[in-house]
Amino acid sequence: MTETTKTPPADPTPAPAPHGLIPLPPAAARALLLLGSVATAASAFLAWTWTAEFPGDLTITGYPGGLQWLTFTAGVLTALLTLASYGIRGLGWLLPARNNAPLVLTAIGGFAVTWFTVIAISAELGGLANLEPGGWIAAIASLIPLIGAFALPQDGNTTDGGKEALKAYIAKPDRIPAPTPTAPWIQRAAITAVTALGLGVFTYGIDTEYGELFVGYLIVVVFTVWALHTAGLLDRFSHLIAGNRSFTLAMGFLAAIAFPFTQTNDHYANIGVNILIFGTVALGLNIVVGLAGLLDLGYVAFLGVGAYTAALVSGSEFSKFSGVQFPFWAAALTGAAASLVFGVLIGAPTLRLRGDYLAIVTLGFGEIFRIAVNNMDGDSGPDITNGPNGIPAIPDLDFFGFDFGETHDLGGFTLGRFANYYLLMVLIMAIVVLVYTRAADSRIGRSWIAIREDETAATAMGINGFRVKLIAFALGAALAGLAGTVSAHVTYSVVPTPYQFAGSTPPNSAFLLAAVVLGGMGTVAGPLLGAALLYLLPEKLVFLQDKSLLAFGIALILLMRFRPEGIIANRRRQLEFHETGQLDVPQQTTLTDEPAVTKAGA
Amino acid sequence: MNTLPQQLANGLLLGSMYGLIAIGYTMVYGIVQLINFAHGEIFMTGAFGALTVYFYVLPDGTTMWAAVPLMLIGGAIVAILVAVGAERFAYRPLRQAPRLAPLITAIGLSLALQEVVRNFYPGADKARAFPSLDTTHDIGSVTIKDADIFLILAAVVCMASLAVFVRRSRTGRAMQATAQDPDTAQLMGIDTNRIIVIAFAIGGFFAAVAAVAYGLKYGNVDYRMGFLMGLKAFTAAVLGGIGNIYGAMLGGIVLGIAETLASAYIDEIPGMQQLGGQSWANVWAFCLLILVLLFRPQGLLGERVADRA
Repeated sequence: MTETTKTPPADPTPAPAPHGLIPLPPAAARALLLLGSVATAASAFLAWTWTAEFPGDLTITGYPGGLQWLTFTAGVLTALLTLASYGIRGLGWLLPARNNAPLVLTAIGGFAVTWFTVIAISAELGGLANLEPGGWIAAIASLIPLIGAFALPQDGNTTDGGKEALKAYIAKPDRIPAPTPTAPWIQRAAITAVTALGLGVFTYGIDTEYGELFVGYLIVVVFTVWALHTAGLLDRFSHLIAGNRSFTLAMGFLAAIAFPFTQTNDHYANIGVNILIFGTVALGLNIVVGLAGLLDLGYVAFLGVGAYTAALVSGSEFSKFSGVQFPFWAAALTGAAASLVFGVLIGAPTLRLRGDYLAIVTLGFGEIFRIAVNNMDGDSGPDITNGPNGIPAIPDLDFFGFDFGETHDLGGFTLGRFANYYLLMVLIMAIVVLVYTRAADSRIGRSWIAIREDETAATAMGINGFRVKLIAFALGAALAGLAGTVSAHVTYSVVPTPYQFAGSTPPNSAFLLAAVVLGGMGTVAGPLLGAALLYLLPEKLVFLQDKSLLAFGIALILLMRFRPEGIIANRRRQLEFHETGQLDVPQQTTLTDEPAVTKAGA
Repeated sequence: MNTLPQQLANGLLLGSMYGLIAIGYTMVYGIVQLINFAHGEIFMTGAFGALTVYFYVLPDGTTMWAAVPLMLIGGAIVAILVAVGAERFAYRPLRQAPRLAPLITAIGLSLALQEVVRNFYPGADKARAFPSLDTTHDIGSVTIKDADIFLILAAVVCMASLAVFVRRSRTGRAMQATAQDPDTAQLMGIDTNRIIVIAFAIGGFFAAVAAVAYGLKYGNVDYRMGFLMGLKAFTAAVLGGIGNIYGAMLGGIVLGIAETLASAYIDEIPGMQQLGGQSWANVWAFCLLILVLLFRPQGLLGERVADRA
């Protein structure tokens, strides 16, 4: 216990010079930031290249296109934050802690998106000669705020050099000043504004027409969100949400419903409905993996069971029971029930055992499901699923005369086929979110979490581990089956190929699991965000093509290594993964005299 | 003609292959309680390592007598490097993490390895021809190929040497101690990190032997071959009792024979006429796993262990 004998940290060394890595006075650094970011935003109005061959047409002076808008946005954001750091009245809320990390991050974002564009232009058109002077100006202008940013003093303790000094630039301060209390209507207005903004940002991402724009979009979004995080605004917003939970939920669903009305092209509604299906299934998996801690590697098979069941009773003439046509509510219930039965059949023998067995049995089940539906064509197996040809020509749904296959006009907006299904999926997702949140907050949800944390202790507390796990597993299966019934109608046909362990397009079991893990286990928003990202990345980045699965695999390894709790971290998970000594890490709080035993070999 | 002896022989051969791969699962699991999902892909890289030696290193026209040992060495080097690399860079940093983390890493690793081979190995996006040993011999009513003889010999020699190694050698005993209690083993002066690396390396070596046997027997290899073989081998390891090296081999053989007999004879059972044949073999292997977990979860040779939560 050497700490107790040490003198209190009265630092005898003089305070570190108030400048950052680049030796400039802070005032000059701030001025560079402001001027540079304004110049960056302005440079977006210049012509960057001479030909419209580069997508987005960056050739017109005075009218920014595609990627130039992103540079403009990043520049404006940096400028706003810099102004806030000057203490301009009315902008103070942007930088509650008055720290420099948000400035640094947005400056990096602007620099990255501009240089990405410039490099993409020269690479795709073949050489730097394709840059107009505007492109050079933009590149130099976006470098200025970066210099300014790194000339600012770091927020944290920065006596160490090298990596630590760089880290200190993007560190989030420990203490963010508490917000001044605001009237409820201001809080609600803020939530509404943020939801609308979120819908706009999300819609922009879905509507990006070419891969370069999507990459630029991701760069700007990632750095902006990161900057807002270090500024403490995300924390403040989640406090706001916590105070207005049901209002936020309502706004979220309103935004989700509003999405198809913003679309003129049914193609993007198709992407939307696929993201929703993927997200709903990921949320179902989140009950199994995130709450109960059971690793299910064949989850997509339950989606498949639901889809095939719905197809069989849909009245398709290629179905084995072509005379039977259930109304949708009955088909949905049948699909969910069929998945539930399979879930219990798989879960009952394996859930009594250690978790690893479940992983391998579900992996096997997923594979068996695919093989079985492939073989049930009447030749190499019973005639049920038409084998590799699947069940095509599934009729569109019809609710009380509302034909989902037709285009409808609603108050001046045109809703195409996919938009109709999108709205149905929003409804189903609402059900799943409801089931998820109600279950998670209930007695059974707390039992799941207890089982996940420590099964032995949970059992000792009187929780029937097997029963609780089986409920989680079967509930997850039923929700996937429910989503499957809709997906069968959306895609017109069901075939065995999508229901495999890993493929280059979602949904497959590996992508589903990755959506949950990437987004954040045990949260509602996490799997939805993860699903959206994992659907959009292969969809938009077509140049990755057959390298996408390779990138996916490597990303999964790196994710587990560096941010295992996912993008949106469940607080409990975060503490669990990074042993911070706050929850249950007795060996860190050493009060004994003996040296701590290294656990390296465990 | 009675086909039963032939089917039994086929099952035994297939099962030995499962058993060789299952050793890798069971040793790693026994020591670090980790399902190395990527082990099937280590098997696959072993096959491609051997293929590289045959097509790109050896001169044309090398006799198989000379080629097979060199291919074994090449495959083993690749598989061991991949296995040890995976342990060092993917699993070791996560040893203190919750159980889910290394499992997900293993899935990522397995996909990454498959895709690396598919994208960067010449011609590997389709099945690649592998030199095969097709000369057949008739023993009674059983016909076997040279490749089968190689497989049986390799399996017997490998198993016998592993048994001796684990029981007699100092490292082998250190391995048993680590499997029993890693913390205490370390206090007794055992370098547990080294033991874990050795377990991965042995698993890789056995997988490479199985991979060469696979190639010689079936005459082609592809980047997806590791997935189903790995899944079956894991089934075999569970069947025999995970953590037990003899169990892995026994489980492999039982699984191989059960699967072969099921696909050969199940269509003679009334009402199941259409469920025979190779396409349903995987389904029956999997049903066997479920049955074992239901009635004997500790496996054929496993001891009942307390759940280490």
